[in-house]
Amino acid sequence: MADQEQMKSLAKEAELYRAQGLLKESKEKYLEVLQLIKKNQRFQHNEKAIDGIKYKIHSLEKDMAEIDQETEAPELSKKVQDLIKRLFSFSQDKAAAEMEGAVALAVFGQFERALAEFGRLLKEGTSQLIAAKNILRCHLAFSSSDAAINQYEGWLSGELLSNAQLRNIRSFLEYVLKKKGVQTKLSEVVEDPSQKSKDTGSDPGLLDISSIRFRLESGPCKGDIKEFDVTFQSGNMISLIISDNESDLVDSIVPGIRLRGIHFFSQEAVFTGSGVVSESKRIKTGPRRGDYVLGIRIDST
Amino acid sequence: MANFNQRERVIECKLVYYGPGRGGKTTNLQHIFKAFKKQATEEMVSINTKGDRTLFFDFLPMGLGKIRGCEVKVQLYTVPGQVKYDSTRKMVLKNVDGVVFVADSLKVRRKENVLSLVDLQQNLAEQKKSIFEIPLVLQYNKRDLAHESIPLLPVKLMEEDLNRKLKVPSFPASALKGTGVRATLQECLKLTLQHLQRELKWMR
Repeated sequence: MADQEQMKSLAKEAELYRAQGLLKESKEKYLEVLQLIKKNQRFQHNEKAIDGIKYKIHSLEKDMAEIDQETEAPELSKKVQDLIKRLFSFSQDKAAAEMEGAVALAVFGQFERALAEFGRLLKEGTSQLIAAKNILRCHLAFSSSDAAINQYEGWLSGELLSNAQLRNIRSFLEYVLKKKGVQTKLSEVVEDPSQKSKDTGSDPGLLDISSIRFRLESGPCKGDIKEFDVTFQSGNMISLIISDNESDLVDSIVPGIRLRGIHFFSQEAVFTGSGVVSESKRIKTGPRRGDYVLGIRIDST
Repeated sequence: MANFNQRERVIECKLVYYGPGRGGKTTNLQHIFKAFKKQATEEMVSINTKGDRTLFFDFLPMGLGKIRGCEVKVQLYTVPGQVKYDSTRKMVLKNVDGVVFVADSLKVRRKENVLSLVDLQQNLAEQKKSIFEIPLVLQYNKRDLAHESIPLLPVKLMEEDLNRKLKVPSFPASALKGTGVRATLQECLKLTLQHLQRELKWMR
């Protein structure tokens, strides 16, 4: 009798957990019921009861498998995608907010729309390197390595990106493909003599750097990893721009501080080194008025 | 971080309902939407899977009217509880101002409560926020199931498991029946607005 009561109580629990979507817990309770039935002389030959419990366990397993296999990111309606863009773009700077919105779409698996957004930003010239790298990331997550490679080849034959940017993107793509275990030889960026003088305004001892990435070791943004396009390079001096709404960041990168473990993205490869912040000035005129220009003197690579 | 428009005297803050999967976060928001329909400024948005599990987030924007001369707006979110949606949880938690942690009172979910709280602490830390400093309220949900003889964790044990170090306000609740939902939200809002007053000095 005690067994029967316990079975009833366990079955009630199992049913409630199933109704609440706690499938694993429900299955465990049904398994306990099954154990009790098999141990109990009165019920152990009750095939109907045993089959009934087994059937419930089987359907729970089926539901669990379905959940596991569920497409993680169904295509959402444009309205919901717009909402995602709106809710997850935090910057006051319009260009930065647009980029955040596009990144959010990618995080929520809305790759087609994210690709369209990044593509638009790329064409508009907004943080082109970041947009281009995100396009490649979307292709790698959404379709295939081939799609990412084809995209790179497409840029190579177009005029949207400069040679310095293309070399940077090539290094990036090579790096992520290698990490994915994809062995491939990406086409080299062919030097265009007309661009050469524009691209190589730097010391012959140091490669052209198109972007850098580093982790902040002090200040209000300590621990943050930041990536910037290099806007100007002269020898071992590089300049980059920080948006005016990132005042915390400006406070973290004050003149005199040393930045260690900087990742430099250049045509040859990604390499690391260190530098010292040499200046931080507010731009007073032009379209970037209010933003900050930061100078870094690279002292070791 | 909350958005404070000093010129128009409008403050907008973000509260996130966090907790293990199937713990009742969405049910909390559904009850709030029904009970405070007048304050809801838009329809509640839910992005669920077929099995009614939260896939990305639920979103409910509300207007609380004027508090000390300032228009207060609040955006309520839930995160997906399932472990595999970690990147989504991180995204939803961005710029959060206050958190309601919805713990499941079912005995079989004891471990998941603890894991989810640890996950919250880690995801906040990634934003350089401390779980000990952010406005936080615990809710022990599904207390109504005690009447159905379903094994529940005693509140005292849940306090020991989840609130021994945090020592934040906690509320027994039944989101399904609506018990404790209002009190939980009110407390979290109170703590969040007090915190934002210290940070932004938005009250006159």
